[in-house]
Amino acid sequence: MSWLPFAHALVARQDLPIPAWLFAWGASIVLIASFFALSAAWRQPRFEEVHWRSLGAGLSRLLLSRPLQVFCGLLGVFLLGVAIYTGLHGTEAPDRNFALTFLFVTTWLGFPFFSALLGNIFRPLNPWRAVGRASGAGFRAIAGQRPTHLAYPEQLGRWPAAIGLLAVVWLEVVYGSSGGVAVGLAPATAATAALFYSVYTLAMMGLFGVEKWCERGEVFSVYFGMFSQLGLFAVRGGVLGRRRPLAAATHCATLPGSAAVVIASIASTSFDGGQEGAFKSAIESVFNWFVDRGVGLTASLRLTDTIFMLACFAGVGLVYLLGVRGMRTVRGAPSLSQLRIGFAHTLIPIALAYLVAHYFSLFVFQEQAQFTYLLSDPLGTATTDLFGTASGGVDFTILSANAIWYVQVGALVVGHVLGLTLAHDRALVYWPDYRQAARSQYWMLAVMVAFTCFGLYLLSVSNA
Amino acid sequence: MTLPLAHIGHYLWVLYILPVGFVVIGIVKTTLSEKRRGREEDSDEDSD
Repeated sequence: MSWLPFAHALVARQDLPIPAWLFAWGASIVLIASFFALSAAWRQPRFEEVHWRSLGAGLSRLLLSRPLQVFCGLLGVFLLGVAIYTGLHGTEAPDRNFALTFLFVTTWLGFPFFSALLGNIFRPLNPWRAVGRASGAGFRAIAGQRPTHLAYPEQLGRWPAAIGLLAVVWLEVVYGSSGGVAVGLAPATAATAALFYSVYTLAMMGLFGVEKWCERGEVFSVYFGMFSQLGLFAVRGGVLGRRRPLAAATHCATLPGSAAVVIASIASTSFDGGQEGAFKSAIESVFNWFVDRGVGLTASLRLTDTIFMLACFAGVGLVYLLGVRGMRTVRGAPSLSQLRIGFAHTLIPIALAYLVAHYFSLFVFQEQAQFTYLLSDPLGTATTDLFGTASGGVDFTILSANAIWYVQVGALVVGHVLGLTLAHDRALVYWPDYRQAARSQYWMLAVMVAFTCFGLYLLSVSNA
Repeated sequence: MTLPLAHIGHYLWVLYILPVGFVVIGIVKTTLSEKRRGREEDSDEDSD
């Protein structure tokens, strides 16, 4: 198997019973119907309380025990080490090297999906947190005191994570943009970037403290942690418990830059989905413009892609701000900044929906490679067969083109209905009169319909 | 007469914009009529 799929590539053409654009109309009707149902029947906020319930002291003791935490931390460090080692010493073929699929598919796509279901599962496995905590414990043992840290500049909030998130995606889809493979980045480049990021993260943890940096600046903790707020399980006061799904999200976007993180997520997925489809001709025009002015081919391509990626970020942010601005026109509205922060969490299900819609097929196909030949032959040199699965391959027939499309449509509709529900629930906090609350959500409905139709358009062009 | 449909695929995006347009028009219309009704109710109260 020397060829792996693009994020949106399909093994067969779709054979849909109706044109793809009619799905956008259908999805819009579902959203409008949901809006009216919420306006009529949902008159009290229900997600402001998390309704956390303990799962029992025994289970908490077992799952949160020190030995298990140490084991998970070591496992995270080991896997990161394997990814860096294989990236530096393995084959240069991106699709045969363990590092790229592990970093950009298994980790980058797997954690959001599973965190949204289960809660913050990345936290115990976070290799940098494990190293940071072990270093702190070592320092305490030697110096006999806790390490002191600088005060984190609170006005920065989660902006370092938002910028880091764009940088990670830029590395993958702009810098590593090259034909025909799932992730086109050179494995050695990915490994070097991981090393650089590790040094940077550990330095920041040393400066500001491990937990503080994980909560605000560590890209993976903030990004996966954002999706985990939708999940069912959470630890509170050292006890594992169950909570109302989605409810924790209502309190997670209070720091500056939180909205930027979720907007960056939607924008980067949109860009990745659009660069080979909907934006292709526009990208080619700008690329040619740079080339005509004597800029090198690679530089022109990267410059063009960077511009479009930033434009996606600005565009998604602008649509959200228009929705917020519309709410401000309703009598009794709080300030614009309060609304901007107060509704940022409603975009989290949309970010997840975009991820599922754009990468679901890639994840299903690529994980077959991850757990067969990439696991047995991580260096990709065809000299090892650790688990006897090195000759395995990817079965592209397990998902039909139609099945992928229906999952994409379903994910986008469910994600936007959930976003609409969270927005309506938050509106009831700001406007206790449910009629005013419903009025305030007219513009959020427009935002949700716009994101749904835009997402389906990107997918339909990519799939065509 | 043959319709120039060879490049119609380039304009499919219009069909994806239309639902958004309808929703925005509906919102603007509803908002304006609510504002007008509010003004009328205010002027009725003043005249009473």
